[in-house]
Amino acid sequence: MTQPSLQGPLAACKQVTVVYGRGEASVTALAGIDLVIEPEESVALWGRSGSGKTTLLHVLGGLLEPTTGVVEWQGRPLSTLDAVARGRMRAAGIAYVFQSANLLPHFTAFENVAFAARAAGGELDRRLEPLALLELVGLGGKADSLPSELSGGEAQRAAIARALAQRPRLLLCDEPTGHLDTDTGDRILALIEALQREVGFALVIATHDADVAARLGREVELHDGRIVREEVHA
Amino acid sequence: MTLTLARLAALSLVRAPGRAGTRVLVLATAVALLGAMLLFIGHSLRTMTASAVRSVPLDWQGPVSSYAADLRVATEVGRQPGVAEAVPTATAPFASAEHHGSAGTIRAGAGAILAVPPGYLRHIRTFRLLYGSLKPGAIVLDQQLAATLQAQVGDTIALSPRPGVKPRAFRVSGVAALTAGDVLFQPLNPLVGPAPAQPPANVAILPLVTFAHTVAPELGSIPSVGPGATTATGAPRGVQWHVQAQVDPRALTGSPSRALRLESRIRNRVQRSLPGQVQFVDNLADELSTATADSLYAQALFVMLAGPGALIALGLAYLASLGTAERDGRDLALLRARGASRRHLLTLAAIESMLLGVLAGVVGAGASFLAVRLLVRSGGGLDLARVLSTVAVCVLLAIGGALVARVGVTVTVLRGSVVEGRRSTRRAGSPLWQRLHVDGLALAASGLIYWLTARTGFAAVVNPDANPTLSLSVYMFFGPALLWVGATLLLVRARGRALAWLSARFAGRRATTLPAFLLASAGRRGPAINRGLVLVGLLLAYGVSFGVFTATYDQQARVDAQLTLGADVVVSAPSGVGESLQRAIAHAPGVAATSTLEHTYAYVGPDLQDTFGIDPTTLPRATDLRDSFFLGGSATEMLARLRSRPDAILVSKETVTDYALSVGDLLKLRILDRRRGRFRIVPFHVVGVVQEFPSAPKDSFMVANLRYLLAVTHDPGPNVVFVKANGDPVALAGELSRETARAGTTVKNIRQQTAQTVSSITAIGMAGIRQIEGSFVVVLAAAAMALFVAVAVTERRRELATMAAIGASIRDIAGFVWSEAALVLVAAMALASLLGWLLAEMLVAMLRHVFDPPPDHLAAPWGFLGALAGASVLGILFTGVVAVRRMRRLQLGAILREE
Repeated sequence: MTQPSLQGPLAACKQVTVVYGRGEASVTALAGIDLVIEPEESVALWGRSGSGKTTLLHVLGGLLEPTTGVVEWQGRPLSTLDAVARGRMRAAGIAYVFQSANLLPHFTAFENVAFAARAAGGELDRRLEPLALLELVGLGGKADSLPSELSGGEAQRAAIARALAQRPRLLLCDEPTGHLDTDTGDRILALIEALQREVGFALVIATHDADVAARLGREVELHDGRIVREEVHA
Repeated sequence: MTLTLARLAALSLVRAPGRAGTRVLVLATAVALLGAMLLFIGHSLRTMTASAVRSVPLDWQGPVSSYAADLRVATEVGRQPGVAEAVPTATAPFASAEHHGSAGTIRAGAGAILAVPPGYLRHIRTFRLLYGSLKPGAIVLDQQLAATLQAQVGDTIALSPRPGVKPRAFRVSGVAALTAGDVLFQPLNPLVGPAPAQPPANVAILPLVTFAHTVAPELGSIPSVGPGATTATGAPRGVQWHVQAQVDPRALTGSPSRALRLESRIRNRVQRSLPGQVQFVDNLADELSTATADSLYAQALFVMLAGPGALIALGLAYLASLGTAERDGRDLALLRARGASRRHLLTLAAIESMLLGVLAGVVGAGASFLAVRLLVRSGGGLDLARVLSTVAVCVLLAIGGALVARVGVTVTVLRGSVVEGRRSTRRAGSPLWQRLHVDGLALAASGLIYWLTARTGFAAVVNPDANPTLSLSVYMFFGPALLWVGATLLLVRARGRALAWLSARFAGRRATTLPAFLLASAGRRGPAINRGLVLVGLLLAYGVSFGVFTATYDQQARVDAQLTLGADVVVSAPSGVGESLQRAIAHAPGVAATSTLEHTYAYVGPDLQDTFGIDPTTLPRATDLRDSFFLGGSATEMLARLRSRPDAILVSKETVTDYALSVGDLLKLRILDRRRGRFRIVPFHVVGVVQEFPSAPKDSFMVANLRYLLAVTHDPGPNVVFVKANGDPVALAGELSRETARAGTTVKNIRQQTAQTVSSITAIGMAGIRQIEGSFVVVLAAAAMALFVAVAVTERRRELATMAAIGASIRDIAGFVWSEAALVLVAAMALASLLGWLLAEMLVAMLRHVFDPPPDHLAAPWGFLGALAGASVLGILFTGVVAVRRMRRLQLGAILREE
């Protein structure tokens, strides 16, 4: 897969604050976050539950509009765009893998991947054809199964295949192993890392698991909506 | 604890006003429909009572043995509570009447005398005075007798009470039209009851005192009750002293059956208070009994027409609750996780349903009052008691409806574990009815009942007396009822399997294009789509069946009325004024065409039959003649045959059979020659067979040429004018009535006749139910489609958010909503066309004998059907557009974090 060379960071958060609710009931989920994601790097957002990992992931991917601050995608402001424009930009390079897979329940594994490929638009790389992707994640034999017929690990692998079908430059994973046993979780992580090396996208994983965080190139620790530590792994 | 739960229930409703508001509105609409129907049915039953009471010219006739007893008993009866009026009267025969005029002596044959006191017509309407008044010592002649004797007010006639007795001379003080001769001169035997009889040909009316002192002494009295009391029909054989009484209509309230009970109570009390002195022939009870039977059919018909609509409306309430089931389920699961017991959860559900139900019930009752006020011409006769009872019923129904929908979710939570409850719902195996194939059995039973009823010709039992009444077996109504049940259950069982099959066949195994994705998704959402299809399809089917049935009913009511009355407007006049009337009427504004008729009687052998003299050239322009009225030729052919020879005559099939007649045969009739005052034999030639004819009775009658009939009867001219209206027949009738009143005319119009047509079930007013149900169905169709879209979007919220998160365009995502809505609408319309038409066909076929003549085809109310389809499309468009706008503002992050 060929990617255009990029001059600047892939994505960036500048003084991003997210507040849920209003008045006395309001909760600050993120407070003045500055974060830069470079092309093809891998970043772990690590912290306890409620630290703001998922919120930061959603802000980075344009699923959530920050209360204040700016989110940039390839140097262009993402957070000031409307929902439709954000959707177009997401389709052009940002993919998600959610904690609970979130496969479309009425589509087969093949159709889930094919639908994402269609949403991404453009010419289809042979390697990114739905069946090829499913084979890449080891689900060639389950292409015609509905999500309800897949195990947790299989559903997560199908979600990864779906994300890859979007030809992502940035893959955002929210606790991708959170609902899986240790062995399956390890295999999924290994698969994501292998695919990153092969396809060449930037990877951001939100996790509460220190071991998972340690496997990635950079580790960003969040606490009460603030970045409290950043560490680059060798 | 209950207080805490009540506060919690109130808070949950207040904190989700959208959720609560939708449920309240849908429930309110459902109960409003039920409430409106209850009010309307109650109103209809009261109207039936009032019509029945009004239609009886003379309520009670109590035979007594003497003039003195007559005076005494009438005074006593008149004092009883519930009695509006009681008068002493008598009927008696006379042998002949003579008038010595300028044209010589004219003699009329035997007839009957009615003797009444002064002021008789204040409450009792058995005749009406055309000219003059009833004066002591003088006589009033029925218009027929006056015409026969050529007597006018001021002339003197001689009346012979019996052969061989010297005639008594009376000065004519008035001319009257007898309107209840069949009741006045019926044989009075309280043990037998009412037996309306052929009225005498000649009737004279005398003041009671005059009668008692002049004619009565010449005739013997008929005993009041017992072996001597006559049951023979026809003119009385002696003096029949009797008390005539009218019941106070204000004392007869409620449905016909209630009014009948009240009336019987009043009569029994009166008879008990005068032991051994009087017993009544109760004409009113007879009419109320018929109305009671009719009201049962009316209620069955209303339930058949309105019941499914109300049930479907409650189904919509269930659909509305499904839209919030996921959230409700989560809330309950959380409560359970925090330690709430089963009892607590059920109590909470009950309290919440109660709060929703009270609100929805009050709103629904208000809407039903408004609907009845706006849609029923007379306003539905609302009073405080009816308002309160309707509110109570609406509130109870709404609480029940809310409870059923809420309990579904609560039971699911109670069945599952806490975690399962938070995540999803689980479905058990097939329900009992599916294992027992109740759907198939219901459809088969419906078909069987239909076949059995069809085989017996939907046999209506016709009462053999002069006033045919219809009687239908109530089990026939099970046909359509079971069709509803079977079709609904079959749809529920199918659960969209047909859709899945279609999807698999046309979308292919692996969808890669948008249409294929849409079809694949719809195919796998079969049960959810089917749920919408069941409700929307059944609702539209109900709308179609209801619309087609009521349109056919109206069409036939108009035909029936036209056949009974004769034309848009019919002017009846004393003999001889018809020609001049026609000329005057023909030039009145709003008149399209006119034709004159002579309505008289003639004997075929011993049978007296109605005989109509018509003008075959002008008649087709003044009224509608259908080919089905005649046997052996079209209406045009039959009229041509009548024109072909002056003495041509059309006779009924019964006459042809009874007298072995064929076309071309000579038929000799005995017809009254008014110039000679006696019957004469007149030759006619049979040219065809007639079954129905405008204004003709249901039994035997004949149709001849007007000119020939007038020539042989020496009648001075026709006595009926048929008028075709250019515009509003009511206005035209009013105008003609004012213009021709001096000629002693009676003017009737088609609308009045439609309202008065008394052929059992068609007597029921359908306008109100059509307006109420029609309006609700149109609103519900829009609401059903809107709800389907709203529930689908709510249920798929997370799925649609996921699509948005992976970059699908709003247009593509909206495609999933629009395609399903379109699919449901098209399938529902197809289902509605088939099932609705089938149901209407079944209902109309069942009631075929109620209509006279039976309908040739169903009537399609295209305007209503268009409104129904339009409302459904509008419902989709409105909710779809709102849903798509909201999709643009979906909080993707929040939705996708929901577990």
